[in-house]
Amino acid sequence: MGPNSPGTDQIDTLLWIGFFAAAILIVAINGALIYAVRRYRGGRGSRASEAATGRRSQLRVGAALTAFAAVVFVLSVVYTDRARETPATGPAGLASARSAPLTISATGQQWLWRYEYPNEAFSYYKLVVPVDTTVELDLVSTDVIHTWNVPALAGKRDAVPGKTNHVVFRADEEGTFEGDAATLSGQAYAPMRTAVEVVSPAEYRAFLAKQKADIHAAQDRVVGLIEKGEVP
Amino acid sequence: MSQPEHRPELVVDGYPRRRPRWIELTTSADHKDVGRVMIGAAFGFFFIALVELLLMRLQLAVPENTVLTPVTFNRLLSLYGATAIFLFAIPLALGFFYYLAPLQAGARGTALPRVGQIGLWLYLAGATVLYSGYLFTPSEAGVNPLAPLSELAFLPNNGVDAWAAACGLATLGFVLLSVNLTATLHGLRAPGMAWRRLPVFAWAAGICSWLMLFIGPVMLAAITMLLIDRNFDGIFFADGSGGAPLLWSHLSWIFFTGAYMLILIFALGAIAEIVPVFSGRRLQGRRVVIGSLAAIAAIGTLAWMQNMLTSPIGIGWMYYAMLLSLALIVPFGLVFFNLISTMIGGALQMRAPLLFALGAISSISIGLAAEIEHSMVAVAWRLHNTTDATAATHFALIGGAVFGGFAALHYWFPKMTGRTMGETMARISFWTMGLGMLVAFVPLFVAGTDHGEVADAYKFFSGTGVSTLNLIATIGAFVLAIGILLTLVNAIFSRTGGPRAGHDQWGGDSLEWLALSPPEPHNFDVLPDVRSERPLRDIREAIAHRYRAVEPEQAARESQPVA
Repeated sequence: MGPNSPGTDQIDTLLWIGFFAAAILIVAINGALIYAVRRYRGGRGSRASEAATGRRSQLRVGAALTAFAAVVFVLSVVYTDRARETPATGPAGLASARSAPLTISATGQQWLWRYEYPNEAFSYYKLVVPVDTTVELDLVSTDVIHTWNVPALAGKRDAVPGKTNHVVFRADEEGTFEGDAATLSGQAYAPMRTAVEVVSPAEYRAFLAKQKADIHAAQDRVVGLIEKGEVP
Repeated sequence: MSQPEHRPELVVDGYPRRRPRWIELTTSADHKDVGRVMIGAAFGFFFIALVELLLMRLQLAVPENTVLTPVTFNRLLSLYGATAIFLFAIPLALGFFYYLAPLQAGARGTALPRVGQIGLWLYLAGATVLYSGYLFTPSEAGVNPLAPLSELAFLPNNGVDAWAAACGLATLGFVLLSVNLTATLHGLRAPGMAWRRLPVFAWAAGICSWLMLFIGPVMLAAITMLLIDRNFDGIFFADGSGGAPLLWSHLSWIFFTGAYMLILIFALGAIAEIVPVFSGRRLQGRRVVIGSLAAIAAIGTLAWMQNMLTSPIGIGWMYYAMLLSLALIVPFGLVFFNLISTMIGGALQMRAPLLFALGAISSISIGLAAEIEHSMVAVAWRLHNTTDATAATHFALIGGAVFGGFAALHYWFPKMTGRTMGETMARISFWTMGLGMLVAFVPLFVAGTDHGEVADAYKFFSGTGVSTLNLIATIGAFVLAIGILLTLVNAIFSRTGGPRAGHDQWGGDSLEWLALSPPEPHNFDVLPDVRSERPLRDIREAIAHRYRAVEPEQAARESQPVA
């Protein structure tokens, strides 16, 4: 799961920082615990000392912990802010997305994602985006809370009914990236997956045109059938 | 005012006849009886939760497994969550508090015994309602039934209603028990038992009771709204028409985050009693530990939005939640520091209570350290609702409620039953559990961080790189369960078959060790005038002093020739 979008780079880095912060605390606490048990296991005649930990060592430990927490907090804010930055569309990207991100609406519904593109074409399950282009997904839901989750491209975000949430990413390589939904949404939660297919801008435009034409053809066929009285 | 004169009258002929033990136990409002029933029931439901967990792990042993249908899995998941939190962890903590805090404070009873008794029975009624859901359809909405999934439109059967009624009754019970605990600790402490002399575990009881008085009503309000939504066309959590699905998220996470803290404070309070006793030293930094526990309750609960970092809430709120979550490093760190520095320089007796206490410290430290990642906003966007979150929560809460609960059980079992639990069995159980914890949950850390496996899903797909990890986790869960069962069996057999214990089995310093084992209904025949935070040590020293003073006198007298 290598980073394929500028934001996920920052998330990766921060994940490592978090991992080391956690590891330091785990090793310190458990190491001290093991040391205490090995060194002070009472045999016959061993006596406990009555020496007390003074106020100064309490203050010192408290200050050290505060400093540790503060450093983790500051680093988290720095990297989170970087991860939130909207990346600019690159030279290989869609020309029309230079000034404003390419906005696609993603609707969570039990148990399939529906994507609506700017030219009114739509697709289910699979999202097609151009490479090197800033894409903004507007997450909405028509029923329960769903979480849009393609870890290779962006962080998770919830689609909550009545609200619009946003995911911004820029895929740097062509390819297909998969993800599972990440909030229990009912019976078919586990198979509610999605895939993002990153293609060249030309292929993207071709996909949009074909998708739109196919949708219209299908609609015309259905309308034609209804008009002929053959309700499908 | 004059009293009418009565002639002396014989009103009692012999002792009142005792009714059968179970009638005594179920009709009693005595805090020890209520506490015992709660602890027993909590461990009973723990067993059921364990079975549910194992069934789910069995389903997740191999990819795309079909042992359980999706609906059955979701029902087990919902029942497991409600059982582990509402029927096991919280009542276990409150049961121990309810039994011991009045004894430790030197009270002869509780302030509002009937209120506490109602609390117990509301909890048991809640448990009955939850499991009678099996008669029709249990909830399918998950551990935290997030609206709008828990709304009538999406789960039209009665499962969520049963969940809401059950958890509501239990929560109301917890609130009433907390009312009585708070009143008792504020009003009925022994002479000289100032707040500053109250044992840490009794402080933990006070802190957790106050915490429950804040978070309990929040959950009750949320549950009431959910029931109104489902049964009376309410729109509290419905999208459109002015409702807000996120309202449920906020309210329920306030409760669940508070409950998480409550369980940890219970465990740390018990450990802070056990570690000094088995180290032969006083607790280092007593005031710092107590202050830290109070800080954990306040800060931890206020950090509830740490669970909502992927929700559409403002980035400022996310940073606020992260700030509070990371601030918890300080009080938790200070508690760990003082517990460990109590052991350093002591003479450790490695008995079962200490062993489980050390396991709890270790497990909680791993879980909480892993939670740090989940409070770092951008990392939460990656790790939210992955099995990494499952593992972190289970390390912290199994560390608190199971290792911590077993430490408390082994430590106070002699006080409650007059018998000691088998030591060899405790050791076997401890090491099995420790192994099981690591094998069951470390693979889930890896699956969550490296492969992004999502939590709560009834199946995972082959080819996602998590098959082996999940199989190992399932094996670990069974090992863990075997270890847990050994202690439960040990407790059952030791109740009648364990070696007899004296009134002060471990050489404790707090007042519960002055009472008989098990304590009389009125707790104490005599109460000492408490002069320090270690009243029993004072008594022991006074006796030793007296003995040293009297012995030469007596020896001199005995050596005198009899006239």
